[in-house]
Amino acid sequence: MTEPTYPQLRIVPMRFLNPETVEILLDRLFKAGGIRRLVLNGPSIPATVPYGPARGAANPTTYRRAIQICGEEYILGVQVGTILLELEDSSMIPDIKAVCDEVFADKFPYGITEGIYMRSNMTTTDYAKYGIVEDERILGMADPKSKQRPIILQGNR
Amino acid sequence: MAYTPQYGPGTSKVAANRRNQMNPNVKLEKIRSVTDEDLILIMGHRAPGQAYPSAHPPLAEQGEPDCPIRKIVKPTEGAKAGDRVRYIQFADSMLNAPCQPYQRTYLEMYRFRGIDPGTLSGRQIIECRERDLEGYARELVETNLFDPATCGIRGATVHGHSLRLAENGMMFDAVQRCILDTDGIVKYVKDQVGNPLDRKVAIGKPMDAAWLKENTTMFHSLVGTAFRSDEEYVKYVQRIHALRTKYGFMPKEA
Repeated sequence: MTEPTYPQLRIVPMRFLNPETVEILLDRLFKAGGIRRLVLNGPSIPATVPYGPARGAANPTTYRRAIQICGEEYILGVQVGTILLELEDSSMIPDIKAVCDEVFADKFPYGITEGIYMRSNMTTTDYAKYGIVEDERILGMADPKSKQRPIILQGNR
Repeated sequence: MAYTPQYGPGTSKVAANRRNQMNPNVKLEKIRSVTDEDLILIMGHRAPGQAYPSAHPPLAEQGEPDCPIRKIVKPTEGAKAGDRVRYIQFADSMLNAPCQPYQRTYLEMYRFRGIDPGTLSGRQIIECRERDLEGYARELVETNLFDPATCGIRGATVHGHSLRLAENGMMFDAVQRCILDTDGIVKYVKDQVGNPLDRKVAIGKPMDAAWLKENTTMFHSLVGTAFRSDEEYVKYVQRIHALRTKYGFMPKEA
């Protein structure tokens, strides 16, 4: 069976993004349309202090907070450093670049590259780690066993 | 002829900064001032104003054995009083921070007494008697060895030295111990292990990019001085590497 391959992009800004910038960027990206999957990558901001004498204490920070994406609320648990995108087709790439140019214009440079950044099929390791995964869209994006579920945004076509 | 230490090789500005920091005859430039209370709050070992808890009776009271070494080596103030051993730990960004772990250990060994430094890739800890520590910590924080944005006082959860900076120029910190406040001053809101402080502790304004580039001790090909641009340094490192590698074969230098 031939698997459809979708174009994938990776956006790497020169600085880690504030949640406010992430909100603005995602809002514009989704308005541009044509996005199948999107991953926000970056170092984790834990809810509690992970190590040391204060381990387990609450970890109030300005970086871990709920962000709004197309009216949906999502708790941002990382400081975003890389954004992975999977598009419906490659005709959207210039639009995505234009959005990034606009958002990062007065801030800092960024890099955008096309390649394969998310898996589309299960690997043997995936099977050993996760067993049977019902929704294969999550493969290559996050741990299917994670308690925090991805959000599915409707109606952006 | 008396031995004169060379401290390190290199013809670049970075190499010169390294030598200046290590050389105890070069006075470190004082840039900011932090009160005793603020330092104590950030380190979090004792409450401000509290007497120093002791680990043993003062040396004068406990009766020292007759030992020639003890006659030669004078105890530090903290050791004399029997203070506990406490620590301060720093994480330094690779993006032009004014100091970095190995450099910190070198310079502390040249400049301070009675210390036990621990050097890791992303952090450097210095342990010593509590009252000595407060003096040393002051020197490490108030002088040109420290930048509030790219250096962090971090006891645990130190990750961030090799990552990109945040939008406002602060080094990544999962526990966000310090924030860049609206007045442009970096303030600690948690102590070095991540316990919240009762008040914000101001530590100073972040240094600008030009100052950092001029005063850094870290080579960086993208944002600062490239290591390969310093030919003498490269040669020296290659020589040490070769000698270490061939050590078992009794190398003879040509």
